Amino acid sequence: MFAGSARGYLFVAPALAYLALMALYPLVSVVAMSFQDVAEGHWRFAGGRQYARALGDGLVWNSVRNTAIFTVASTALHLAVGLALALALNQTWFSRTLRNFVRGALILPWLFSTAASALMWALLYHPFGLFNYLWVGVLGRPAVIQFLGDPTTALAAIIAVNTWKSYPFYMVSLLGGLQGIPLELYDAAKVDGAGAWHRFRFVTLPQLRPVLVAISTIDVITSFGHVDLISMLTRGGPGVSTETVAYHVYKTALLDGNLPYGSAVSTLMLVILTMFTVVYLRLVTGRQRESW
Amino acid sequence: MSRAGRRRQRLRHGLGQAVLVGLTLLATAAILVPVVWMFSAAVRPIRELLTYPPKLIPDTVTVEYFLRILRQAKYQRFFANSAVLSLVSLGATLVLAALAGYGFSRFRMRGGKAMLVGILALLMLPRVTVIVPYFRLAHAWGVYDRLGGLILVNVAFLLPMATWLLKGYLDSVPVELEEAAMVDGCTRLRALWAIILPLAVPGLVGVGTFVFIGAWNEYLLAVVLTDTPSAQTLTVGLAAFFGEYVRDWNSIMALSTLTSVPLMLIFVFFQRWVVQGMTSGAVK
Repeated sequence: MFAGSARGYLFVAPALAYLALMALYPLVSVVAMSFQDVAEGHWRFAGGRQYARALGDGLVWNSVRNTAIFTVASTALHLAVGLALALALNQTWFSRTLRNFVRGALILPWLFSTAASALMWALLYHPFGLFNYLWVGVLGRPAVIQFLGDPTTALAAIIAVNTWKSYPFYMVSLLGGLQGIPLELYDAAKVDGAGAWHRFRFVTLPQLRPVLVAISTIDVITSFGHVDLISMLTRGGPGVSTETVAYHVYKTALLDGNLPYGSAVSTLMLVILTMFTVVYLRLVTGRQRESW
Repeated sequence: MSRAGRRRQRLRHGLGQAVLVGLTLLATAAILVPVVWMFSAAVRPIRELLTYPPKLIPDTVTVEYFLRILRQAKYQRFFANSAVLSLVSLGATLVLAALAGYGFSRFRMRGGKAMLVGILALLMLPRVTVIVPYFRLAHAWGVYDRLGGLILVNVAFLLPMATWLLKGYLDSVPVELEEAAMVDGCTRLRALWAIILPLAVPGLVGVGTFVFIGAWNEYLLAVVLTDTPSAQTLTVGLAAFFGEYVRDWNSIMALSTLTSVPLMLIFVFFQRWVVQGMTSGAVK
């Protein structure tokens, strides 16, 4: 069934060579640059100076805190919204067409660029926008909320946009997981007298576990590296209240032009994320071995 | 069970279904509010925007803002750049990914599993961690502020996902067909082209849509590696438009709408395959 291996390499070589040059090489060089310094336009070895600076910087620790909040909240909300909607879409509806239409409509936010999503929400968050109309005009509160301009609400406002933008991917993944659960398991549980909650708790959730583990890890890594919404909606502000580690890299390296320092923070990010990835790969390959 | 009991059960079941469907429709409506708001803001005159109370249906409908954007050379350039970037990235990614996916699917190679795991690891690589080397390399290679450079880095980020998904899809295409063709004297490359790829069209369409949307919406690499409209894409143009001091919301929403329309059309056409690809792909 399988041919000799030599010719296989010819098929995979172009893609691997491309990734080696365009992904691995930059990865190695970001680590190399993090141990350097720029003086009068020349790069030279500087040992761990950039790391010492980064780890001693209160702004970095502030961004770590914001990243933790952003990542945990985004992941939890993506999974909660995604699972609730996936469960609803996985039921029998009186009209299949309506269900498919709703499924398509619910995927819609995933199609928009983060740029377009950021702008749509910025209009809703506007002091004279829809949300403030509901807050002041309908609920009768005395003052408008500066959703993006107030340090106490800005991060939550960005998390809301990120939840809206990315839940469809997780919803569809979970829908795929739900459809893979054998119906006999539910029938057996019903025979044993299990109610809806027990069927969810003891059949659905355990069966979804592998998918949940996989997508939550993907989500943690994606949210951790997220820059787009923050750079478009608040630029880390007001103050540094929405500055995450990823945005800190972008700001210090590209906006302030401190490339070696940005490399050091990038490398720190990679170290943290590698720990996550190792766990993820162990789980995924452990499961895939049977099917290979 | 008595007839009355069965009827009662059916009624309860129907009622439960109605509640579920009703709640889901309500949630869907809430989720679509930003989109509907964008459309309606794009087609109303400025004095009808940000009014108190807000009006969902504008009194006057105008396409002036769309036309004004479409007539500007700068935005035409952004559209052209986004289209070229997405299409070339799509083509390059699919060719490389189809070859690699076929290789991984059909050959048992030493180190094959390690290579696949490596590709999976790259799939998770956050773009932001390599913007510094990309920025330097782009200058060193003379592709800073060039669309070509942007295509090179975009493919690097689209390729791992595409390879992984296509490998999975090709695993489900039976080997016997190409074996028969090769017994008849077909070369392997020819068998891949003439027999396997036509069978893999649904997979290619699903992955292709994924890749196109990814390239079209990419922002971070574009903002790092470009500087002038000659190489900038729509996402960068959109963000820059927003960043300007005077906020012309109608035009912003019109531009947002215009950038999103191509993706919505593509999605309407290819929804089935995309959903198939997403439900059976990376995380299974």
